[in-house]
Amino acid sequence: MGAALAIEAKGLFKSFDDKPAVRGIDIAVPEGSIYGILGPNGAGKTTTLRMLLGIIEPDRGERSLLGNARPLEMARSVGYLPEERGLYPAMKTREAIAFMGALRGLPLDTGRKRAEILLRQNGLGDYVDKPIKSLSKGMAQTIQLFGTIVHKPKLIVLDEPFSGLDAINQGRLEHMIRDEAAAGTTVIFSTHVIHHAERLCERIAIIAAGEVRFEGLVSDARERLRPQVRLKTRAADGPWRAVLPAGASQQDGFWTFELPANGIEPLLKGLLDGGAGIEELSVERRGLHDAFVAIAGESAAREMEAAEAADLGAAA
Amino acid sequence: MNLWDSAWVIARRDFVASVFSRFFILFLLAPLLLFGFMIFFSLTTDAQDRAAAQPVVAVVTDTATSEALNQARSRMVAGTSEQSFPILRYVAPAENVPAQAQALLADEAGNYSAVFSGTLDRPVLTGPVRTGDFTGRRVGLLVEESRRTAALDTARASPPALEMQRVVTEQASGSLATARRAVGQGAQILIFTITLMLATLLLSTLVEEKSNKIIEILAAAVPLDAIFLGKLIAMLGISLVGLALWAGMAGLAFAFFYQVMHDFISFPSVTPATGWPLFIVLMLLYYAANFMLLGALFLGIGGQASNIREIQTISMPVTLMQLMVLLLAINGLNGQGWLAWFAYIFPFSSPMSMVAMAAQSGTLWPHLLALAWQALWVFLIVRVSSRLFRRTVLKSATSGSFFSLDFWRKRAAR
Repeated sequence: MGAALAIEAKGLFKSFDDKPAVRGIDIAVPEGSIYGILGPNGAGKTTTLRMLLGIIEPDRGERSLLGNARPLEMARSVGYLPEERGLYPAMKTREAIAFMGALRGLPLDTGRKRAEILLRQNGLGDYVDKPIKSLSKGMAQTIQLFGTIVHKPKLIVLDEPFSGLDAINQGRLEHMIRDEAAAGTTVIFSTHVIHHAERLCERIAIIAAGEVRFEGLVSDARERLRPQVRLKTRAADGPWRAVLPAGASQQDGFWTFELPANGIEPLLKGLLDGGAGIEELSVERRGLHDAFVAIAGESAAREMEAAEAADLGAAA
Repeated sequence: MNLWDSAWVIARRDFVASVFSRFFILFLLAPLLLFGFMIFFSLTTDAQDRAAAQPVVAVVTDTATSEALNQARSRMVAGTSEQSFPILRYVAPAENVPAQAQALLADEAGNYSAVFSGTLDRPVLTGPVRTGDFTGRRVGLLVEESRRTAALDTARASPPALEMQRVVTEQASGSLATARRAVGQGAQILIFTITLMLATLLLSTLVEEKSNKIIEILAAAVPLDAIFLGKLIAMLGISLVGLALWAGMAGLAFAFFYQVMHDFISFPSVTPATGWPLFIVLMLLYYAANFMLLGALFLGIGGQASNIREIQTISMPVTLMQLMVLLLAINGLNGQGWLAWFAYIFPFSSPMSMVAMAAQSGTLWPHLLALAWQALWVFLIVRVSSRLFRRTVLKSATSGSFFSLDFWRKRAAR
């Protein structure tokens, strides 16, 4: 990994009321990348992001943000969307976006102009002078997102950005994240929805129970698991069964098993020689979900799925 | 952004949000309503209250004695005031006067504080022991006056009436000191009242950010010191807008009153020791200092509350604390003794004590010293308040004791 790092954390440790929330987090986010922090609720994602941004201080460990060990000194170059969305209800949308930019050093007038452009570009031109309290939850969330990027930061930190958004707005947000990254901005976001991370991120950190279980490329996480073989044969039984690995299981007429360590060729030879009569055979790379289950455990994956279901319910 | 730039962003938002809110008009009207209510209340209740508070003495004597006492009272009241002597009410004596006196004191409709019986030579005053304090001594004076007049009448002696020559001067040191003391006290009360009115606003100002979950956006972008300072500056600005409006209205009212009444009422000529222009400047500076000091403290206390209910619970002790500070500052008006010095030095009473000093003494260097001292305390309280907020509300605390080397090593590394 030769690229300069937008974020680097080593051994971050934080406890609340003597209960450890984060235990020795190591993270390295290359500049210009989209980075996901994946984990169930309570895993320590928000605490990690808050420590990285300097909102709270770690008990132990070191972190640097855009090369600076004092994150607040880099506030002008950072945009942050917290998990708990908050806006002044009486403020007008344009003013709210401009205010968030002003907090990061953007002159108010420039902020207002950029806010208007952002609103119009995203079909919210009619809401420029509407107070926040008159907007729907999804719209308010979009306004806050515009406030996060209005000052054109080098680093965008999003804590559970997809939470509470309907499918359309989730798609918009994904699009926006890709656009920002394409423009050279580093984006780091936390999520408990695996497919968002899988679709967007080059690198991820999988966090469970306050610890990083995996940190690296998404492809590396997936490659931790051997590819999966799906096989349908004409013959129900025969000598070919001997070449199937011990963990092979059958469901709906298909055999599924991990690709043996010696590769596909010996398997194919055994099946052909054993008279299996191959009807269908596919070798599939495992998805991030399977990798997550293997890395973080079945219960963490179940918690993620429950949180995702709750999110969908809230967005609906 | 530096601390001041960040504080300015926060201050501007808070100021605009408050001043351009429709509720700000209520805030501006509040003191006028309070003032109007106070005038109405004093006009309607003062005379009744005074009458109700004045003791009534039943005079159970022969009519001649009663008449002599009443005449003595009229003479004494002419030289003092109606309230200086108890009201005398004649009651015809019964056969058993001691029993009658007891019955009169027990009669709630009569509302008697004491009963006078006997004669001018052998007076008897019946009543609770406490009547000896005021009623007893005043009735004693009336008896003495009646006896003296009777003696002079008997001797046919009548001293000639005197008319005192009056030499009118511009000032007298005694009255000037009293007037300046009054100016100082007035300034103290004014500063106290305005700060008191804004105390709840100051206490609750962070609740908005906490309840709307904006605090995290602010805390991620600017130092907490800047948030606290910005909020204080905004509230000071809001109060100065109110103050300017109230002062303008009071000035107009005074100008109108002066135009109409200047031929009938002589207005006292009082100049504070520092002169009016400098006194007003100092008063504004001390108001700002007082506001910032108490504001920083209230902001710190209010920051710990998570909802309006908790703010309401905190409000009463905070008001009591302000009252104690006022009492301490009023003590500083004496300008002597360790308590007065304490009032000058104690940061929370220092502005109000020093404004009284500005009215009474023309020496200027103590004010420069005091303002610097107060500014230092504003800075310290803001730092401590924001630190406490970070520790308890944002749950961010660097491990280790404030006094440990480890703590400061980590602070330096941040």
